[in-house]
This record gives sequence, structure tokens and C-alpha cells, in this order.
Amino acid sequence: MIAVLALVAGVALGLVFEPTVPVGLQPYLPIAVVAALDAVFGGIRAKLDGVFDDKQFVISFVSNVLVAAFIVYLGDQLGVGGQLSTGVVVVLGVRIFGNVAAIRRHLFRA
Amino acid sequence: MTNPRPTDPQPTDPRRIDPRWTGPDFLLQLFHDPLDPGYADAARRKAERRASSAPPPAAWRRHGTLALRVVTLIATGFLLAVAYRQAVAAEPDRTQAQAGLVDEVRSAQTRTDDLQRQADALRDQVNRLQEAALGGQTQELRQIRELAAATGLAKVTGDGIVVTLTDAPAQIDPKTGKPADEGERVIDRDLQSIVNALWSAGAEAIALDGQRLTATSTIRAAGDAILVDFRPVTSPYEVAAIGPDDLARRFGASSAAADMRGLSGQYGIGFAVRNQADLTLPASATDVPLQYARPVGAGTPSPSTTTTPR
Repeated sequence: MIAVLALVAGVALGLVFEPTVPVGLQPYLPIAVVAALDAVFGGIRAKLDGVFDDKQFVISFVSNVLVAAFIVYLGDQLGVGGQLSTGVVVVLGVRIFGNVAAIRRHLFRA
Repeated sequence: MTNPRPTDPQPTDPRRIDPRWTGPDFLLQLFHDPLDPGYADAARRKAERRASSAPPPAAWRRHGTLALRVVTLIATGFLLAVAYRQAVAAEPDRTQAQAGLVDEVRSAQTRTDDLQRQADALRDQVNRLQEAALGGQTQELRQIRELAAATGLAKVTGDGIVVTLTDAPAQIDPKTGKPADEGERVIDRDLQSIVNALWSAGAEAIALDGQRLTATSTIRAAGDAILVDFRPVTSPYEVAAIGPDDLARRFGASSAAADMRGLSGQYGIGFAVRNQADLTLPASATDVPLQYARPVGAGTPSPSTTTTPR
């Protein structure tokens, strides 16, 4: 419950304050969002599995976002930013799909 | 999904033995068990602590981790909202640039039309003043009018024909249903040959898309655009010509018309000729006085030109 409220509060903050993203950070925003979604779905899945752990969740969120952004940054410097972004999205996408499938099985038993 | 639900690691699971184990194949493991192994490790540590009846974690610790979780989720929501706003804001940037260019073109066109109207009004004024200066409908005035009409510097009316050319429609890709590539286009040379054929068929005045052709008119291509006296014309191209009653027949017998019929059959370019009574062709917008050629026997060119040189 607190989690949902916190998420809603975050969205509200983002909409109210209308922050402008520095131009240098803009390329990393989409990949950071995918990484954050992966952490959130992982957390929900863990909660439903009964193994949720705050420390694990926070660390996975922070490291996911930072590592994803770093990989894209590195790729940009090497000239393979697009391909590395695709790689990150594939890996995180597979995880999101798997976790959402597990959540679905938990919720609907199907 | 048919894979078994990943549950707590089995006693034989290598992760039980070595927590750094990542499996023989990272991707296989990813597909098999997408949940971060850290959660299982944490759960196992908790269970071990409970089993060994160690004291539960201090209250500040529990509250601290809860606060961290809340902060993380707020950050996630913030990130989502910011990314959404960013994506929404990026779209208008692109369309705005295009809309700005379109506006610029429109205003330039409006300005050109205004100037054209102004030029027409001034020309009327010049005609009236000429009439007044020459003292009514005299022989000289009639001669000036005839010459102006013949050279394309005056509006003329009469019966004639209209030749219409249109670009071929875009090819539709049968698989995707989308336009595969642009259809064949009318090019400047098509228009040139048609205009030449009309002149040779006896046309006395020709206008292309409402632009009167004079002795110095040009029809040329600039990239994909066709320019008539530096003004762009677009499909459908209408070539209106005033000439003898059998202009359509004589034009139809020309080789240019035969070529266009061939292009029409082969590439789908639209080509139509129709008779039209009471055509009115405007005066040319570019009545620049001659700069290099001098009329023979008249000394210097007449200073009473109707426009200023460009």
C-alpha cells in the first residue's frame, strides 16, 4: 500500500515540478526507465513470492539504472550506443516479461 | 509459459553451495528464472537468522529500509513522469520546426500574391495614363496594345485549348499496401516540348499554370520542382493556349503530343487536351525591359517601361 502511494507520489512530483532534463542526460532517460521498471517488477514478483527484501530492492534499482546508463554511455563513446542500448533493452525486457509472467501466475493462477 | 515456476532453490542447486554462481549460461538462466537471485539469498539469510534464533533487527534498521524503499519508489515514479513528459515534449519540437517552415512558405506566397495584385493595379494605371497621354483611342495606342498582347505583357482573352498533365499516381506496394515509391513525374522537358508544339501549332498566347509565357520565359527544373520564370508550378500542370479553331487537332498531330500519349500509356502520366472557349490569360509577371537588345532604328530603348529593372 505504502509502495503504491510512494509510486503515485513520485509521478505527481514529476508532473508538478516539470523538471527539465539536461541535454546530456536525455539519451539515458529511456534506458533508465526500462531499468527502473525491471527493478519494480522484480520487487513485485519477490513480494508475491514472499521473499521481498528492501535492501535487495533498493540496490537492484540503483545499480540497474546506473549500469544501464553506463553501458549506453560507454556504447556512445565507442560508437555502438544503439546496439548496446538494444542489448540492454533485450536483457531487461526478458526479465520484465519473465517476472510479469510470474506475477500473472500468482494473481490469476494461470 | 510452460516452464516450472521457479521456487526456492533446491538443496542441490549450485547456488546453495556458491552464492556467486551464475549458471553455465547466463542467458539460459535469465530465461529460466528472471528474478534476481539476490532475493532468494536475502530470504535464505532471514530464514537462517530466524532458525538460529538471533535477535530481530533493530527498529531503526527496519524503519530505515522501509524509508529507502519508499524513496526508491518515489524516484521510480518521478523517473516515469519525467520520461513521459520528455517523450511528449520531444514530439512537438519536430512538428513545430516543420510547421514554422510551412508558415514561412505560406507568408512568402501571400506576399508574392499581394505584390502581383499591386503590379496588376499599377499596370492598369499605366494603361490609363498611356491612353490619356496619347489622347484617347488612337492608332498608336491600338498598336501598343497589340504589341503588349503579342509579347505577353497584357492580359488577353479568346478561344483555345487546355492541355493538362499530371504526375503518375504513386505505386502501391501489393504486400504492405503503402506507397512503394513515387510515381513517374512530369519533367520540365515534357512541358517545354508541349509549349513548343503549341507555338508551332499556331498558338498566340500560352500560360502555364496561370503564368503567361513571353519571348524570354524559361521552363526549367530545380531539383524536383519545375520553375516557370523562377516561380514553381506543380501537378496538375495546365497549359492554356489561345489559337486557331483547329489548334487541338494540330497540336494532337504533333510529335510532342504523340510522345506524351506514349508516356501516358507506359508510365501512367495523365495527359488530356480539351477545347475551352473564352480563355483569359493573364499578363506575364516578369515584364523586365530588354537590357541588351536594342530596337533597330529607334535609337535608345523607350524610357517609358512599365517596371523597374531587377
